[in-house]
Amino acid sequence: MSTVRIQRIAGLTVLIVLLLAFPLFASQFLVVQIGIQSLFLGIVALGLIFLAGYGGMVSLAQMALYGVSGYTMAIVTVTYGLPWYVGVIAGVIFATLLAAIFALISAHTQGIYFIMITLAEAMLVYFYADQDRVFTNGHTGINGVRPPLIGPIVMSDPTTFYYVTLLIAALVYLGLRYIGRAPFGLALQGIRDNAQRMQSLGFNAYAHRVTTFTLAGFIAGIGGVLGTWYDGAISPGSIDLTRTINILVIAVLGGLSYLEGAFVGAVFFTLVTNFASSFTDRFNTVIGLAFLAVALFFPDGLIGLSKKTLQIATQTVSWRGRNALESSKPVKAPSASKLPTSDTVSEDKKLMIASANPEEEEKQQ
Amino acid sequence: MREFITITLNGVTLGGLYFVAAAGFSLIFGLMRVVNLAHGSLYLLGAYVGWSIGDATGSWYLALITAPLGVAVVGVLLQQAFLRRIQGQELREALVTIGVSIIIADLLLAHYGGQNYEYTVPDALNGPVNLAILGVTYPAYRLFILAVALVVGVGLWLLLKHTRLGMIIRAGIDDRDMVSAIGINVQLVFALVFGLGALLAGLAGVIGGSDLSVRPGDDGIYLLYSLIVVIIGGMGSIGGAAIGALLVGLVSQYGLAYVPVYSVLITFAMMIVVLSVRPQGILGRRT
Repeated sequence: MSTVRIQRIAGLTVLIVLLLAFPLFASQFLVVQIGIQSLFLGIVALGLIFLAGYGGMVSLAQMALYGVSGYTMAIVTVTYGLPWYVGVIAGVIFATLLAAIFALISAHTQGIYFIMITLAEAMLVYFYADQDRVFTNGHTGINGVRPPLIGPIVMSDPTTFYYVTLLIAALVYLGLRYIGRAPFGLALQGIRDNAQRMQSLGFNAYAHRVTTFTLAGFIAGIGGVLGTWYDGAISPGSIDLTRTINILVIAVLGGLSYLEGAFVGAVFFTLVTNFASSFTDRFNTVIGLAFLAVALFFPDGLIGLSKKTLQIATQTVSWRGRNALESSKPVKAPSASKLPTSDTVSEDKKLMIASANPEEEEKQQ
Repeated sequence: MREFITITLNGVTLGGLYFVAAAGFSLIFGLMRVVNLAHGSLYLLGAYVGWSIGDATGSWYLALITAPLGVAVVGVLLQQAFLRRIQGQELREALVTIGVSIIIADLLLAHYGGQNYEYTVPDALNGPVNLAILGVTYPAYRLFILAVALVVGVGLWLLLKHTRLGMIIRAGIDDRDMVSAIGINVQLVFALVFGLGALLAGLAGVIGGSDLSVRPGDDGIYLLYSLIVVIIGGMGSIGGAAIGALLVGLVSQYGLAYVPVYSVLITFAMMIVVLSVRPQGILGRRT
């Protein structure tokens, strides 16, 4: 086994142990405010990163789909008093269906057009929730959504909630990772890079995009269920423009090219919003500045930044002996494929690609 | 019938306001392919600054003229400081404008707080007007908004069709590289157009803020309506923005009057219909 591989396995083990042991050493405040919140925001951001990184579709509709699921569940369980699982199933299904409708409308477009149309879709969901009094109860929204009792699992207990959310987050992450490497995911990446060529090869680009967006809607729906249980309520304020943009902020801060970025961004975001607010009221300005800095200087987000730093560090250490070797390595032609495409690409080559063309990804139009 | 005329007038005048807001958005997009998601924030900035100027000097007209100019300066700074260095990378430009919009919204909230601000509109514009032909009385101020929209529309048309700058802008929309290849300072034109777009957002802020009130969250509303107007009308087309704004204004007012709960859904449905029949918008060109 190569050293890189051993390092990876060791790192992964430490991470898993840390995540599992987190409620044991952290205060309840940390578990609730940072742990759970990062996880369910991270789940929604995962869907967005999959859309953006693998499919080239930066969507602003994810929080609206989150809201559709949360509202549906709240209406089913609180207004109509049906059991929790009916609410969960209805919420996720409804969010997925609406995502499919949104996808049919917007998947013809790409790049900035896609952003505009999904933003319009998201804001329309918001205004509907705000205006409607029959189902969504207008500006107040629906209160009193209780985390349920699932057999012996007491979801209202913060530690239990944390572990359930962690499990779901891990499943969603692994699922997306798998789909990204399956034939569907590879075709999707091909479509992202060159839709015309993939069309000529017989792939239906539109169908791939619609399916991906629907899948991301399903994930946003799961996030919506968890988030609404967490908040105990849902209102238009949970899905307004700020929240809509926050998910994009999380994804971009973490790094649009890496699925892991969703959780890195979410942890960073919840840390800033929780702790910056203790010494300044302007934590949104802090978030905005961080976002601006990432958008301007580090298009690969915090993960890209840390990988780049690591790469520079290792290069400096091994510089003397390996100088000739390094320069003889073939430089990969610029392409948008700096994403974690397949395992056959070795770790440091991936880094090379990532640093060689940090700007390629944006040229989608 | 009288009610119908009033609702129609509401729709048309609201369309005028949407047009002023969306024209700047569309202009910037058409030439520079920048989706300025801070457009709503520039609207809100204009509305607040205009209120402050009006409050300090007591002159509403002064606010109407100076606040948009201030917003234009902010717009040029935004373009020069941030967008210029990542020019051509459309997605990153859109992300940067989102970052700017977060910061502007937060700083405005810090300075103005969460309450509503009401403008003091001059008496000459404030009273009702008797429209003899249509047989209804209608607020003069709403007609003033329509007049401003017409002036902006005609002004933009003259600028684009009958001036050298307009010629450059139109050429730039078609082929940016060629324009710069024949020796025109495209960067200067970009800065001017961004300033003009921001100025229109600021102007919409003052006239829109005077119509109702100014409060946090208006940035999202006007960003949304600017988006819908250009999606329906066609991106980058001023004529399209006019048609889109009129349609959105009318449909939303009829919706609000006759099917209040679902007015948002009707606007949404209109967007879907246009996108499915003409994906590039009513007057948009395929790119």
